[in-house]
Amino acid sequence: MAASVPSTALPGAILGSTSRFNAGAGTHIYEGQVVSSLMGHVAVAQPVKPAGPAKRLNKITSKDARNDNGASLATLSVTRHGQKREVLPDVGNIVLAKVLRLMPRQAIVIIQQVGDTVLQTEWQGVIRTQDVRATEKDKVKIYESFRPGDIVKAQVISLGDQANYYLSTASNELGVIMATSDAGNDMVPVSWKEYKDPETGSTELRKVAKPN
Amino acid sequence: MFVLPGDIIDPSFVPSHPKKALRLGPGLQHAPPNDIIPTLAGRLVTDHQKNAIRIETATGRYVPRVAELVIGTVQRSAAESFFVTLSDYTAPALLPHLSFESATKKTRPQLAPGSLVYARVTMANKHMDAELECVHPSTGKSEGLGPLTGGMVYDISLGFARRLMMPKGGIVVLDEMESVGLQFETATGRNGKFWVNSENTKTVIAVGRAITESDTQSLGAEGQRKLVRKILKEMS
Repeated sequence: MAASVPSTALPGAILGSTSRFNAGAGTHIYEGQVVSSLMGHVAVAQPVKPAGPAKRLNKITSKDARNDNGASLATLSVTRHGQKREVLPDVGNIVLAKVLRLMPRQAIVIIQQVGDTVLQTEWQGVIRTQDVRATEKDKVKIYESFRPGDIVKAQVISLGDQANYYLSTASNELGVIMATSDAGNDMVPVSWKEYKDPETGSTELRKVAKPN
Repeated sequence: MFVLPGDIIDPSFVPSHPKKALRLGPGLQHAPPNDIIPTLAGRLVTDHQKNAIRIETATGRYVPRVAELVIGTVQRSAAESFFVTLSDYTAPALLPHLSFESATKKTRPQLAPGSLVYARVTMANKHMDAELECVHPSTGKSEGLGPLTGGMVYDISLGFARRLMMPKGGIVVLDEMESVGLQFETATGRNGKFWVNSENTKTVIAVGRAITESDTQSLGAEGQRKLVRKILKEMS
């Protein structure tokens, strides 16, 4: 049996061979070995058995075939002690963002939550007018879709440039989920484009997300 | 009755109408359920027929409101729009290149920095810069809007500009000048600007002087007529 995987590692510590393990988060591959990049605890994640066909009468398997197939190797990962790994927004993630300011052709937002994880760092995002709705994209008025201070559920469509992620609300489930009226009260959604202030009775236009 | 911001308005002063709802004009804010609070300092004016109440102020900084006509100065030209200054030390308003009569992507209007435009406010809210247009949205005709060439622009107070644009504002200066035989064209901007142009430079100066002095001296109709006579005598 090969040497067992250490329980803690320093940067540069060799954890195992790439023929036996996959390299996960916090590790890298160097000269055929999985090497730790961080200082922390080592975790071994057993592979999920892929659901294959029940019986294959004509498949010839060799003794070492399972190890050569990357999906059935265990995954080594190193995590820092006591600190959750910071999640970065990736293309396709659903994020919650607060609208910071409005410009004629786009809205600037601050991404505060990716999926279920609240971010430690705040990333800036942009929702362009052509990404607000799926239909009638050229008739969108940014002032009738968002207001500064709204909480918006959006999807990341691009990692963008140095300053901004690019987000989109062009779906029924995406859009403003929380809004405050001009009078300062929380509003309730009444349709796909209106929020209503229950105290004063006035309505304001927003791109409303479908409540689930 | 004069009020300051935050004053309590006596309920007996507020008009009531059996059918129409009370309309709050500029300078008043509704604090639910029953309070009306002034946000400007000025004279409280009630209109019992229309069931409206508002505050009249003469001075102050112009705040753009939708559908008002303004005279702006082109500051610079950006990719899709002009930056137009409506009042000093405030953010400029945006005037799209295509919001002019018969403007297409190939034939855009050429406005040099410093030129004047007569425009209508299309969007104004506290979160974004104001936007203007020089064309009627549905017909596509300019209807008097667009660049103002020649002439001279004078600064006037906001209250005077409002009275000039009202049908019965009590400003007789322009009618007096016209009755004497002077020929000129004018434009008034709700942001406190008055533009006058004529073939004769003396006419331009005379009209401009008459307007600005009626404003600064707060002249009534009779005072305005005397002022016009005095100016015409000095000019000739």
